[in-house]
Amino acid sequence: MTSNTTPRLLLLLVILGAFLTLGYWVNCSGVEQPIRFPHKTHLDLNLACTTCHYRAEKDAVAGRPPTALCLGCHMGGDTQSEEIKKIRAYGEKGQEIPWRRVWRLPEHVFFPHQAHVTAAGLKCQTCHGPMETLTRPPARPLKTLAMDDCVGCHKARSAAQKNKANEARLATVTAQRLPTDCIACHR
Amino acid sequence: MALWGMVIDLDRCTGCQACVIACKAENNVPAVGEKEAKRERIISWMQVLTETDEEHHGEKMRFIPRPCLQCDDPPCTKVCPVYATYRNPEGIVAQIYARCIGCRFCMAACPYNAKYFNWHTYQKEGPGQNPDVSVRPKGVVEKCTFCHHRLQKARVRALAEKRDFDPREYVPACAEACPAQAIFFGDLSDPVSEVARLARSPRAFKLQEELGTKPKVIYLTEGEGGG
Ligand code: SF4
Ligand code: SF4
Repeated sequence: MTSNTTPRLLLLLVILGAFLTLGYWVNCSGVEQPIRFPHKTHLDLNLACTTCHYRAEKDAVAGRPPTALCLGCHMGGDTQSEEIKKIRAYGEKGQEIPWRRVWRLPEHVFFPHQAHVTAAGLKCQTCHGPMETLTRPPARPLKTLAMDDCVGCHKARSAAQKNKANEARLATVTAQRLPTDCIACHR
Repeated sequence: MALWGMVIDLDRCTGCQACVIACKAENNVPAVGEKEAKRERIISWMQVLTETDEEHHGEKMRFIPRPCLQCDDPPCTKVCPVYATYRNPEGIVAQIYARCIGCRFCMAACPYNAKYFNWHTYQKEGPGQNPDVSVRPKGVVEKCTFCHHRLQKARVRALAEKRDFDPREYVPACAEACPAQAIFFGDLSDPVSEVARLARSPRAFKLQEELGTKPKVIYLTEGEGGG
């Protein structure tokens, strides 16, 4: 390589680096929600997570609440809040709030919320992190889960379960109540 | 613990292919396109094999619907170097796509040609596909899973409703779709279940039994209904 090409090569690398950084930044700047929803304000009122994310108790997916549910509380009276006005505007137009999904498990994972929320009685924060402290919507998940988070919990709990006679009975009747079999979660 | 199995009555099968289509729709089995099909890369977890009847040569066809036979002693799992395919405690021979490295040893080991390779990215997740089943990426092997996602869902439903899971809640798509009701499904370990009873029938036989694969898809010979 001659001394002439080295600075050019360096310049090229710098430009390439700048592009990559920009790309990374654009990609990771996170999810922006249509409404600056404060989880903290709502949970400080002693509402449960499932008051709004009610599908978590019945469905595999927890989902985001429909406009009508928000309006159930935010309909009446005057408001100074720009955010509440936005909800009402959606309601008047008969539109759903275009909430954007933040949490996404890998495509090959089967995770049923209802079994974990109702039967196992897990706290949402176990997987989702301290959502109750948020004064604005999270741009990205508060926790990153790895497979070991699922398997670790299943293993620890099934060990504990074996010690309880009644629970053990349940484990046999529903078969694999706390499975560590791969296809219990892989789809 | 259950031992899931299937009995297919060849006397009832009309070769209509409803099971094939039901399986494709249920499991997001991709259409590979004409060019790939010509290279024998069609993916079809359930296939209706045809055979001419030896006794009535050229007159009669024999139809044999062939899913993965969920061998109880599967040769495919033994050759997998990364444990991406294994026999689960309930006898389902599972395929973990996220783990498969696409070496295709298992395809070579399966005597029934029940496994398929994704040579390309044939599809992306989207509307019209079953959200309960993953879309396989390029470079992995796939096959019939006995619709195990239906088992996952039935179990979760029972758990959430705090009741016992009834094995009858779990039926694969092919068995459900068969208009001739030729496909029976259930728990082979329960002696009073219909599949266990049919599996004991004198008409019952297994494909290439001599290989020692112990398939849990059991066939009933045809020719009985015709008299
Ligand atoms: S193709 Fe995949 S499943 Fe088959 S043997 Fe290789 S790694 Fe295992
Ligand atoms: S039929 Fe083939 S793929 Fe299915 S379990 Fe048997 S050997 Fe494996």
